Amino acid sequence: MPEGSVCALVGPNGAGKSTLLKLLTGLSSKSSGESTVLGETPKQNEDFLENIGYLAQEIPLYKSLNSNDHIAMGKHLNKRWDDAFIRKRLTDLSIPLGRPVGKLSGGQRAQVALALALAKKPKLLLLDEPVAALDPLARHDFLSSLSQAVADGGLSVIMSSHLLADLERISDHVIVLAAGRTQLCDNIEDVLKSHRLLVGPRKDSITDETGYSVIHETHTAKQSTLLVRLTSKTKLPTHWQQQDPNIEEIILAYMGQAKQGEVE
Amino acid sequence: MIFGLLLAGFTVLTILTGNHFWHEYQQTLSSCRQNPATPSCSDIEGSFGPSYGAILRLVYVTSIGVPLIFGLFLGAPLFSREFEEGTNKLVWTQSVSRRKWLTTKIVWILVFAALYGLAISLLVSWWGRTTNALDHSRFDTGQFDVQGIMPFAYSVFFTAIGFTVSAWFRKTMVALAVTLVLFIAFQASIGQWLRPHYMAAISITSPMGPDDLQSKVPVGAWLLDRGILNKNGKEIGDIFPAAPLQCQQIIQQQTPQGNGLAIRVKTFPGAGDPIDACLNKAGFHQIAKYQPSYRYWDFQRIEAGIYFGASIILISAAYWFVLKRDA
Repeated sequence: MPEGSVCALVGPNGAGKSTLLKLLTGLSSKSSGESTVLGETPKQNEDFLENIGYLAQEIPLYKSLNSNDHIAMGKHLNKRWDDAFIRKRLTDLSIPLGRPVGKLSGGQRAQVALALALAKKPKLLLLDEPVAALDPLARHDFLSSLSQAVADGGLSVIMSSHLLADLERISDHVIVLAAGRTQLCDNIEDVLKSHRLLVGPRKDSITDETGYSVIHETHTAKQSTLLVRLTSKTKLPTHWQQQDPNIEEIILAYMGQAKQGEVE
Repeated sequence: MIFGLLLAGFTVLTILTGNHFWHEYQQTLSSCRQNPATPSCSDIEGSFGPSYGAILRLVYVTSIGVPLIFGLFLGAPLFSREFEEGTNKLVWTQSVSRRKWLTTKIVWILVFAALYGLAISLLVSWWGRTTNALDHSRFDTGQFDVQGIMPFAYSVFFTAIGFTVSAWFRKTMVALAVTLVLFIAFQASIGQWLRPHYMAAISITSPMGPDDLQSKVPVGAWLLDRGILNKNGKEIGDIFPAAPLQCQQIIQQQTPQGNGLAIRVKTFPGAGDPIDACLNKAGFHQIAKYQPSYRYWDFQRIEAGIYFGASIILISAAYWFVLKRDA
């Protein structure tokens, strides 16, 4: 994944998104394969941890401690810590610093947790479905805060979610995980350019597969719809009507392909 | 902190009452030396009044209870709460290593448990002077594990059990239950099965007769066993009468299996002598086994050593459970 990008990690439940993120932080250890994060293997030593920020799925915080306590914790346990930043941010969001975080709303807790992760000035931020439990307004606020932090520079983000529309807004890179494997990993613009939706009369077997590979196909009585990835610059057969799919359709196609692959 | 307040309260209680009873004891002793006929001299303990027994129980129960409380409320939730709340994923992605975090937690909790346990050890041992003097013993089960080094060792050990179990199961309720069960298991079994064997017991024997051998056991010793040996050296338990058997009958019934526990024969007053003479001729004699009181501190040290050694194993296990497993 390129530095400085915001990457959406999508996939169905159970695909392994949380596991992947935990592997990248070093919270879980791999049974096989390799991972390199910021040039090194993820390990829970202080130099590595200094450069990453992580927000787990359930937004864990110490419920009986208040935000001030959490800020003190972050200050104490981190080498880089921007105290002024987090205090300003939380007060701008009208979050009472003296109230135990267990008594804050879900949206407020998510903001506190995000602020804590950002205040340690990581190079890479890993977020595990951070907006899953939030209402639409809280979700909007969270994603705005996140984009603002990215815009300020120096930060790469990998954020997992199954809410595709949200991710489209702030991501420039996408990874699709399904059936435990990476189905797609690419820059969003490139993905959009290289995929087409082909609509044409019903064909039960797709034989002219030159220039594209079929990701997903659906058939009605009279019509076949294929979502394809272009593999070369040759022109596509003209009997197909071409449309530009949006990113959501493409992602769903990849997830569907994985599912079909599972069934077969 | 609640623990601090409770300790302060306990300290005040033990110092005040400990002083009071000790003085009463000294006074009663001296007045009894001058005038042995005073009624309270045959039951000094009773002369302290009902409050003595109540406070004694309170002090001893506290001494046994503190290690259990530490195990349940300090140790058992220590790691499992972090796992249940998921906060381990928060704190392990700050910039401290898991090892450093774990070490800090374990060190602080054990230091606290050790100091607290030490305070209890000192207070209860000091308070127990009176009781030990009255009972002429501090070696019996029930007195051994509430004073001396034991509260200190137990506090450390059961705290370690608590947090090791917590690190293994990662669920607070389970950790609590297991800690409690282990506590009961240890208390029920150590004193009975393990402690008597730290050093080989001293045995004394005497021929069958009206004298109870127990009276020959030195004052303050821990009586482990008393019984009757047949001529092969096999212990056959006590002999009580079901019916006045003849001595020959006893020997005949007893010898084939050698197990003789089914036989209960008692010496009737007056009828004792002939039976005893006959039993003696057949090679029966009384035996008593005990640990003398001068071994008290050796035993305290041995048992404390066992508990501290076990604590080290537990701590190593806790390290393994927390560091080597996935978050």
